[in-house]
Amino acid sequence: MSRDYPLGTIRTEQVWKRFRADQQRMLLRDRVDQMARRLRGDRGEDWRWALRDINLHIEPGESVGLIGSNGSGKSTLLKMLTRVMYPYAGVIDVRGRIGALIEIRAGIHPDLTGRENIYLFGALLGLKRREVAGRFDDIVEFARLGGAIDRQVKFYSSGMQMRLGFAVAAYLEPHVLLVDEVLAVGDAVFQQRCLDRMREVAEQGTTIVFVSHDLPAVQSICRRGVWLEQGTVRVDAGIKDALAGYRDSIEAQSEASARVGEPLQLLKYEVRGEDGDATTLHTDEPVTVELTLGGDYRGDATLHLGVSEGTSSPIFQISHEIRMTGGDHRVACVIPRLPLPRGRYTLWTGVYSIGRTDGGTLMSWHSAGQFDVFGPMLDTPPRAVVMAAPVFVPHQWED
Amino acid sequence: MGGQRAQVIDEQQDRAAPPGAPVPAGPPPELVFKRRLRPLQVAHELWAARELVRALAERDLRARYKQAVLGFAWAVLTPLALCAIFTLVFHRAVKIETGAAPYTLFAYVGLIVWQFFSNTMNQGALSLANNLSLLNKVYCPREVFPLATMLVATVDMVIGIGVLGLMFLVFWTAPAATFLWALPLLAIQFAFTYGIALILSVAVVYLRDVRHLLPIITQMGVFATPVAYPLAKIPQRLQEIYVGINPLGAVIEGYRKALLYGDAPDARMTLIAAASSLVFLVGGYLVFKKLETGIADVA
Repeated sequence: MSRDYPLGTIRTEQVWKRFRADQQRMLLRDRVDQMARRLRGDRGEDWRWALRDINLHIEPGESVGLIGSNGSGKSTLLKMLTRVMYPYAGVIDVRGRIGALIEIRAGIHPDLTGRENIYLFGALLGLKRREVAGRFDDIVEFARLGGAIDRQVKFYSSGMQMRLGFAVAAYLEPHVLLVDEVLAVGDAVFQQRCLDRMREVAEQGTTIVFVSHDLPAVQSICRRGVWLEQGTVRVDAGIKDALAGYRDSIEAQSEASARVGEPLQLLKYEVRGEDGDATTLHTDEPVTVELTLGGDYRGDATLHLGVSEGTSSPIFQISHEIRMTGGDHRVACVIPRLPLPRGRYTLWTGVYSIGRTDGGTLMSWHSAGQFDVFGPMLDTPPRAVVMAAPVFVPHQWED
Repeated sequence: MGGQRAQVIDEQQDRAAPPGAPVPAGPPPELVFKRRLRPLQVAHELWAARELVRALAERDLRARYKQAVLGFAWAVLTPLALCAIFTLVFHRAVKIETGAAPYTLFAYVGLIVWQFFSNTMNQGALSLANNLSLLNKVYCPREVFPLATMLVATVDMVIGIGVLGLMFLVFWTAPAATFLWALPLLAIQFAFTYGIALILSVAVVYLRDVRHLLPIITQMGVFATPVAYPLAKIPQRLQEIYVGINPLGAVIEGYRKALLYGDAPDARMTLIAAASSLVFLVGGYLVFKKLETGIADVA
């Protein structure tokens, strides 16, 4: 009855998972209590759905980014794909060898040497002893352990401990690679190596499922994005669309928590292109940002304006001194050549009184809204670069 | 079923989930996950994990003795110390009658079995709880963890058997020619011990209290099992029931007969012990596999 899907396929059909939401301790007397209640017909159980009706079909060789806010069920889903956790209902089918790129620092035995630990992990991850031996040098090189390999792990720095566990997982040759928040591991150089390794593995045709809050990293690895929200699949589409949707929702949430009771408010904003139309913003062409501020404040103030991609750090910031007279104030800023490539951006504003760096907040820094820019796609970065370069630079080539 | 599969394939063509598609309130009851055990698949998985069992046992052995100055000597010192106490108390003071065999040998045979059991039980019971961080991240058949602790206890037992050999020299006797009977008894001993370790290991994950029961079981068990005295001390009419509950009684008695007295083990008692230990093993395995699915949820 079961169809033979090729190795590297992941299928989930109507997968549900629930967790206890009531207070529950693992002591004998609680169990006795519970049994007594059960006899009286009161189960006293409270469940919360962590995942609801997840249907995913991932082909061999696909790279899929799982995105969503905390508690949306990403890690739970990943754990079920790893087979560490079992679903409450539904079918999960992962074909082929599963590798999980995870940090197994907690499983490292401090009294054993690095070498002994590597063999232990290898066995845990399903490798034969000679398979580990065959990759041993690569693993040590990847973890940058060098001569420390025969030292007891308890004398390692915490970074070395993390890298050790991770390096073993990185040199599995699985059909399916599951990655949960690797970028929290190690320093920038090591993160970069991890991402490189993932890309390498992806090029060899391994299916990748990548969970991360580092959206640029997800974008640089994955072609397809699955956005989970409150345990359901909100969007399953190309990575750009999924990320855009997710970013929009973050924006909407931060806008919802609007600042009230501040001396100044942003009444209106407009971002328009050359012919005064918001739909015709083009890269490297003039753009006008117009803001209308209102409020009781009278006096001088500094208006800050910024643009970011998603909620990450700003691409550029500019500021301007304004004089508020107690009524509405309209201010416009012209950017003659917009340095942004094609994409969706967020406009940020804030107003602060002059001469004071703290406490002088007239309107706190917040995102006003979003705008789209049309124009050329950025050139694809070389393989090792993670962050998509955020700025368009007018340029000419000569040979 | 076929129709449903076809539909799945169609969905793959247009995979963008319909935004805001209504999610049913609960899963269809027929899809609720049930643990199904296929014996062949389980056996195959366990066989595939043999290197892991070895690696885990190796880890425990290395880690245990890396810090201890006396190293592997500890595997011998504990039963020897107990043996000395037993000889003093039960042989000199209580005057247990052991016939042709020296009491020290008599007690030591029992202690080897008991030490194996209590080591596996105590370490095995904690084997899942101590490795929860791994269990939450890496998949492997979970029964390897108690199995690895039994392997460690087996290494200790082999060392103990070596010491037994030396003791035969000291007392200038030889093991009886019937010693091959020890092999089927060994199988019973392993089956029973593993069954208990399986149940306890998963029980500790769900009920922390069980951890505190272990020392009590160990303390009582060494006296409730015919380690220091012969099985014959238990009233004749209760012996069969006793062996059914504690197959180790028949196992120890059988070893003594085979090694020290040159007799075959009592067939009836051995069969009861074999049946009982099989029940413990299979029952323990089923309980383990059933509860295993929830480990990641409660840990």
